[in-house]
Amino acid sequence: MAIHERSLVEPERVLRKERLVIDGVDVSGDWNLVILPRVIEDYDLDFLDEVLKQPEGKTILQCYQCSYCTASCPVHNYWDERYNPRHFIYLARLGLIDELQKRADVIWRCVSCHKCTHRCPKGVLVEETLKAILKVMSKKGLIEEYPSKKFDTFFLEAVFEHGRIEDGELLFGWIEKQGYQVFKDPILKKPIPFLGGTPEWLKQLAVKPIKSMNIDFLILNAKHMLFHPKTKNWNKFKQVLRKVFDEEGVSLAH
Amino acid sequence: MAQVAEQTKKSPMGGIGKRIAYYPGCSLEGAARAYDVSTRIVARDLGLELDYLEDYNCCGAMETKNVSFWGTVLLNARNMSLAKRQGHNAIVAPCNGCSFSLQRAEYFLNTDKSVYNRINELLKEGGVDPLDEVPTTYHLLEWFYHEAGPEEVKKRTKKPLRGLKVANYYGCLYTRPHFYARTYSHTATEEEEQARPHRRETADDDEHPYYMNALLEAAGATNVEYEPMHTQCCGGPHSLSDEQVSEKFVMMLLQTAKRNGADVIATECPLCHASLEMYRHRLMMKGVPDVDVPAVYFTQLLGIAFGHSANDVKLKDNLSDPIPVLKRLGLI
Ligand code: SF4
Ligand code: SF4
Ligand code: SF4
Ligand code: SF4
Repeated sequence: MAIHERSLVEPERVLRKERLVIDGVDVSGDWNLVILPRVIEDYDLDFLDEVLKQPEGKTILQCYQCSYCTASCPVHNYWDERYNPRHFIYLARLGLIDELQKRADVIWRCVSCHKCTHRCPKGVLVEETLKAILKVMSKKGLIEEYPSKKFDTFFLEAVFEHGRIEDGELLFGWIEKQGYQVFKDPILKKPIPFLGGTPEWLKQLAVKPIKSMNIDFLILNAKHMLFHPKTKNWNKFKQVLRKVFDEEGVSLAH
Repeated sequence: MAQVAEQTKKSPMGGIGKRIAYYPGCSLEGAARAYDVSTRIVARDLGLELDYLEDYNCCGAMETKNVSFWGTVLLNARNMSLAKRQGHNAIVAPCNGCSFSLQRAEYFLNTDKSVYNRINELLKEGGVDPLDEVPTTYHLLEWFYHEAGPEEVKKRTKKPLRGLKVANYYGCLYTRPHFYARTYSHTATEEEEQARPHRRETADDDEHPYYMNALLEAAGATNVEYEPMHTQCCGGPHSLSDEQVSEKFVMMLLQTAKRNGADVIATECPLCHASLEMYRHRLMMKGVPDVDVPAVYFTQLLGIAFGHSANDVKLKDNLSDPIPVLKRLGLI
């Protein structure tokens, strides 16, 4: 018997016999596979309510579990079958937090491509709902800081600080956060990409504009590094943003 | 592949306005300068006018929305308010991330009164005019297609891109999700179409977009088959935080383009473009086969076709270096 969505069943629970004889009848062809049942007692009934409270999670109840989203999802199809948007919605609705937690290593891997949202026949904002589920998981301490959250927060900090982001700062700041030793000039403390312990690919990529003598591009980037692009009259707006973040429980480094 | 049949393709219908608020976004003023420069050149040649949005802020891309819903809608509402201040009801964004963010905010502001009211309160508090009406955001491609269109491109073309085989890469968010991008579907039944109350007449086809194909074809290029990779994700917001997945996705994009005979991949988003270039380089360093197709902004290609030089459209900025292949074909 074929198991659909095989990835949903833990290997330990699948019993498969090469040859199975019951009451003298050989049933190996069809019935040689058994999935052991399990009992789940812990439901977190509050989980769904929390998701529904998020502005992004309001459409979760419209889902009728058709799996169109999963069938469309590139992370499911090309990366890991255990990443399964339909299943996450199912678990969240029942409040099966243990099961959600077992997938903490993949659940953050959504690349926000919105194939799921686009194709859902029931009008669920699937990608948004999944992010709402993630947020609630974080809130309830069911998932540790995951890489994309670290990056997203880092990005948000940059926007918050200046109103604008600067590619170089973002890239090297992130590389540094990953534990690489980024070389900085001693006076201005700005990163020098092709020195120090930055990854080899980045060094090579960073010298390309120099090799091709793309002078005006180099000047532009140097200028941005020295004078960070900024939005004017940002301070007052920043206060409002700060207030909103506090309400949402977003904590920034600054 | 169910590509859009000629007869179901839309003809340019105008209606957006030849003059529009221009929201370049942060990357177009930094690493993606080439896209900004070439966009301005092409717009001018096509008789269109970009009104730079003074003092805009970053849209937050796909990153901030994952951390803060209200913060992200607010960031975009501020930009909308600036557009209104400059007298515009329409905004054009050349970046999928930016157009997505603005259109997403537009969706929530238009469909949820409580979001609309709260955001207006917050805008006032932040010293910005509240929104009496929510402006509409168009992707650059949509604007070019409907306000100029293939015929106009053909007229302006001085040096056709003869012999250039292009894989048109639209990325995810140009057409998706239909709630925000307000795309239509040429294969949908009348009933299915009605289920998309927000669709916009000028928007591209959802699963089979063709605006970029049409514009580049009018400029003399040959489009290679690129479905379904044309709207497959590059890893997007995870291109720095989830390198394994992004690398695999970009590998699929590059290899498909190469194996389908493309000389270049045409892009219409600085994020897709950066992701392609960065992982192309890394994959090549690893010796992965068939990944060496360079990426070029579609506006750079149009600029060249309109008779501008490689330097005018800043081809040297492209880290994937499309200059050799364009030289070989005698286009620059
Ligand atoms: S496509 Fe929509 S209705 Fe179907 S399982 Fe996914 S979220 Fe549910
Ligand atoms: S948005 Fe996320 S869940 Fe949806 S299809 Fe893309 S990767 Fe999968
Ligand atoms: S999507 Fe990127 S480039 Fe566009 S404004 Fe946002 S952060 Fe800046
Ligand atoms: S392809 Fe990548 S960068 Fe482009 S829109 Fe999709 S996620 Fe964003």
